[in-house]
Amino acid sequence: MMKQLKSKAPLALAIAGLVAGLSGCAGLESTAATGPSLAPGSEYMVMANRPSQLHVLDLQTDKLYKSCDVPGDFGPGTLQIAPDHKTAYILTDHYERIYAVNLDSCALSFSAKMAQQPNERAKTMYSMALSPDGKELYTIQTPVLLHPDRYQVMEPRLAVYDTAAGLDAKPIRTFPVPRQISVMQVGSDGTLYMAGADIYKMDVHSGKVDVAIPSRNWQRPLYAPPDVLNVWPIQTPQKEFTILYTTAKFADESYNMDSAEWIYGYFNIDLETGATETTDFAPFTEIYFTGMRSPKDPNIMYGVLNHLAKYDIKQKKLLKSANLDHSYYTVALNHAGSKVYVGGTFNDVAVFDADTLEPLNKIQVPGGDFAPSTSQVFIR
Amino acid sequence: MKHLKAINNKAQLLSQAAEQDKVEEVVAMNSVAGCASTFDPGWEIDAFGGVASLCQPMEADLYGCSDPCWWPAQVPDMMNTYPNWDDNAASTKDDWRNLGTVFPGDKK
Repeated sequence: MMKQLKSKAPLALAIAGLVAGLSGCAGLESTAATGPSLAPGSEYMVMANRPSQLHVLDLQTDKLYKSCDVPGDFGPGTLQIAPDHKTAYILTDHYERIYAVNLDSCALSFSAKMAQQPNERAKTMYSMALSPDGKELYTIQTPVLLHPDRYQVMEPRLAVYDTAAGLDAKPIRTFPVPRQISVMQVGSDGTLYMAGADIYKMDVHSGKVDVAIPSRNWQRPLYAPPDVLNVWPIQTPQKEFTILYTTAKFADESYNMDSAEWIYGYFNIDLETGATETTDFAPFTEIYFTGMRSPKDPNIMYGVLNHLAKYDIKQKKLLKSANLDHSYYTVALNHAGSKVYVGGTFNDVAVFDADTLEPLNKIQVPGGDFAPSTSQVFIR
Repeated sequence: MKHLKAINNKAQLLSQAAEQDKVEEVVAMNSVAGCASTFDPGWEIDAFGGVASLCQPMEADLYGCSDPCWWPAQVPDMMNTYPNWDDNAASTKDDWRNLGTVFPGDKK
């Protein structure tokens, strides 16, 4: 199956490019699909896995709804759902290409290679976001020039694409950006938030960058600089950009590690209002790779890696913890806030009751590992 | 650093920082940036010096680490050098026997 898909992928893309070129229309070529169009008003979750597929789960029934083949060689499978609630953007081809897939038809509507010249190798480290009207795609490209005698590391650039540019899209604007930026989200006013050493905000028309939330450079007396893992740009039902951090708070200015308090916290940007917060919510007792607040109670935080944990933020208290049969990277909730979905790593999604953390279901998808793919919940 | 010798530019810069007492200026990266010098724990021990927060089983984390070249010493770098390492192992838990040791190829 792997070999078939791999040999098919360049052909599918070539045909797609040819069709687009001949007709002047993008998105006419379908990749292999199983399952019907999505039903407007229904809630779904999308994830990507090896060998190279997108899977749509129906969150009413908690069953696999349909699958779409994606061209290219898989990885990392970072996903963003467009504001039209039917187009999934996927970063793949070893971090070197972004495709857009119409989840109703499985047709490709957009493709962009990150490298912009023949001797350039450019990677995108999970950074992908869409404008509120869905007309522009933002991504940060980290280029290296491969000279015959040496590699030349170039400065990273924010590339802006017209999402209607078809299957060989080129940037319409580029801007310099700080190094080490990974995940990004866009506010309802069009501000681009970018998580790197600090969490930056950018005006995507002028390229002006400011700090939205200081992270490495925070000035919190007696706090150590935070440690942050920014790999999953999860879009939440309540439109928040939430990133977990761990840190140490020293007892006094002797900065003695032995008496320091070890803490979990989160940075948050309300994408509707632009309001930011930096909030400690728990003692640091185990690792969580992702965290999400409940859509029905902003005082509840869920975190996941080797357990699914649920915290009362104000009381900084662990309320419940569920055992998992293997590690999961990503946490997601349905819009009602009644079910928690954990995914990533292998090829199953485990479903839990959001109140009791009792296991409800496990959804197995065909193919191999999700690895670091993003889980995204949306209503069509 | 008695038994470690810096042999490339990045390693020499690290040694230089230590010699010039500028270690405080060296700050941790907030996120992985692909094949960088990553010294954070994760495969042998977790952040607490134990193993409870390592991914379980280790196969669950295998492609999460090889895809972005996070731990290129422990897991083959699929980002640039061994992109086809997973060709016969879409599922690590089922196909792990097909994930072999890699060796540097001849210079082209």
